Amino acid sequence: MTGTGGLRVEGAVKVFFTGTPNEVRALDGLSLDMRPGDFVTIIGSNGAGKSTLLNAVAGTFPIDHGEIWLDDKELTQRPEHLRAQSIGRVFQDPRAGTAPSLSIEENLCLAMLRGKRRGLARGLSASRRASVKGQLSQLGMGLEERPRSAVAKLSGGQRQALSLLMATITRPQLLLLDEHTAALDPKVAATIMDLTTQIVTRERLTTLMVTHNMELALSRGNRLMMMHAGRVILDVAGADKSSLTVPELVRKFHEVAGETLASDRMLLE
Amino acid sequence: MEGILAIGFEQGLLYSFLVLGVFFTFRVLDFPDLTVDGSLVLGAGATAILVTNGVSVFLATGVGVIAGACAGVVTGLIHILLKSGSSDTNYGPKLIAGILTTTALYSINLRVMGRSNVPLLHEKSMFDHIGDLISVNMTRWSLVLGLLVIALLVKLVLDWFLHTELGLAMQALGDNEQMIRSLGVNTNRVRILGLAIANGLVALTGGLVAQQQGYADIGMGFGALVAGLGGVIIGEVVFGMRSIRWVLFSVMAGSIVYRILVAVGLRIDWIRPTDLKLLTAVLVLIALATPTIRSRVVRS
Ligand SMILES: Nc1ncnc2c1ncn2[C@@H]1O[C@H](COP(=O)(O)OP(=O)(O)OP(=O)(O)O)[C@@H](O)[C@H]1O
Ligand SMILES: [Mg+2]
Repeated sequence: MTGTGGLRVEGAVKVFFTGTPNEVRALDGLSLDMRPGDFVTIIGSNGAGKSTLLNAVAGTFPIDHGEIWLDDKELTQRPEHLRAQSIGRVFQDPRAGTAPSLSIEENLCLAMLRGKRRGLARGLSASRRASVKGQLSQLGMGLEERPRSAVAKLSGGQRQALSLLMATITRPQLLLLDEHTAALDPKVAATIMDLTTQIVTRERLTTLMVTHNMELALSRGNRLMMMHAGRVILDVAGADKSSLTVPELVRKFHEVAGETLASDRMLLE
Repeated sequence: MEGILAIGFEQGLLYSFLVLGVFFTFRVLDFPDLTVDGSLVLGAGATAILVTNGVSVFLATGVGVIAGACAGVVTGLIHILLKSGSSDTNYGPKLIAGILTTTALYSINLRVMGRSNVPLLHEKSMFDHIGDLISVNMTRWSLVLGLLVIALLVKLVLDWFLHTELGLAMQALGDNEQMIRSLGVNTNRVRILGLAIANGLVALTGGLVAQQQGYADIGMGFGALVAGLGGVIIGEVVFGMRSIRWVLFSVMAGSIVYRILVAVGLRIDWIRPTDLKLLTAVLVLIALATPTIRSRVVRS
């Protein structure tokens, strides 16, 4: 076992609207075990609990039962901002990951301080400015030419590229991606996805990526998990995953879930 | 005319700290903080009572500021209690936290002051002392100049703070709370610090106004928030908001313009001084109801 970023979730239960007619078991005793450096893609129909899983790991809300561990640290009770020291996230909405009225370089500067004590030292010191520029040029979007423009002025794709950089710039132990290309048009989505693969591979980040695109789920990462009704119902890795095709995946889903796909979205994209 | 300008500048600068405080909560923190009406009186009352008990005005003003900051902390703590489980953009808990603090402050302010009005007739103000020091008679424009220096100093400190690591996190907090939390910032703590700074500024206006007008009064904070908002809106609309440094300047200038308008209003025969709150409320309403202004001023 090398590196850090082993994620272990054991028997996670999350119920919303407990005790009301609308009660939902979004996570129903879910367990998973990721090795450091695993790049796991997650698929599953609408409402399967994929986003809930990522939120539970990041600490957006506490889970009702179960445990969450990152390497040898138990996260279960930790508040979100402390977990964020070692977890980077990119959301589906490109607006979610950046502060619009701050400049590009200020946003990156905030991200460089992930998990550090923020004090009264100058935020954008000369050295941070220089390093920000270098990082921006790696995106290949020309953002390094205009580090002082407000993020509000960027396109969705540019914002998402920036969010991705912000989530990974400190090389977090775990990267959570929740359909982070779903809100972009196909060409931009492909660019962001390539960038994602590039960064994840280069930095060897342990990554959990939710997607609705089966092709993508099969072509990226070293491991694929399928979720249904708050559990992981399929977990394939390595050679098994490489040889898997979309029709086989659909058939497996029917086998395991024993019902038709709730969503056409999952098939079509 | 010159009289109106002098009064406008003097009052505008005295109240510029209030306007900065309101700007800090409404804009930087995205926290419509109703504590302001109470923390202004707290600053005034604490300063006045200390001065009448022989404490130096400088120290008294400082204590007033700290008292105001504490009021901000209380609002922040109440907010944490009330907000649990609700979304970041839910203003309900923020509004209620401020209302509770400001209501409680009414009683606390009366306790601090001992009565509803504390006169400071024979006490020298901070500006009289500074005037003595540099042998200048602090009236009218020399007073304005003195206030201008203090206001600019405060602005420079805020400029510096907002660009520190912590200050940037504070700006981001009002912009996108979920994002800054997912970067590892304890948003509760940063918000409380912001509320403390804002209400400290408001209390500074309270303390200085008490010295300048010669008394602290339990009613002097009523409508302070809306008046502060008036300054913020005028400043942003008239002078623009191209950067945070610039917008701090804008709202201070807005404070002066607002007080000049008030001074002009008071010269008009059929307007009574007691009509001012109505006029201010209408002014703020018109500004917020005008789509072009609204889109510039209100966060989307
Ligand atoms: N914060 C929340 N409050 C209440 N209910 C929630 C919350 N988050 C998720 N749920 C519910 O939990 C269930 C699982 O939702 P979740 O968002 O995890 O699904 P998902 O797999 O991400 O679906 P999608 O593919 O549509 O994004 C759904 O029934 C959803 O309505
Ligand atoms: Mg989802």
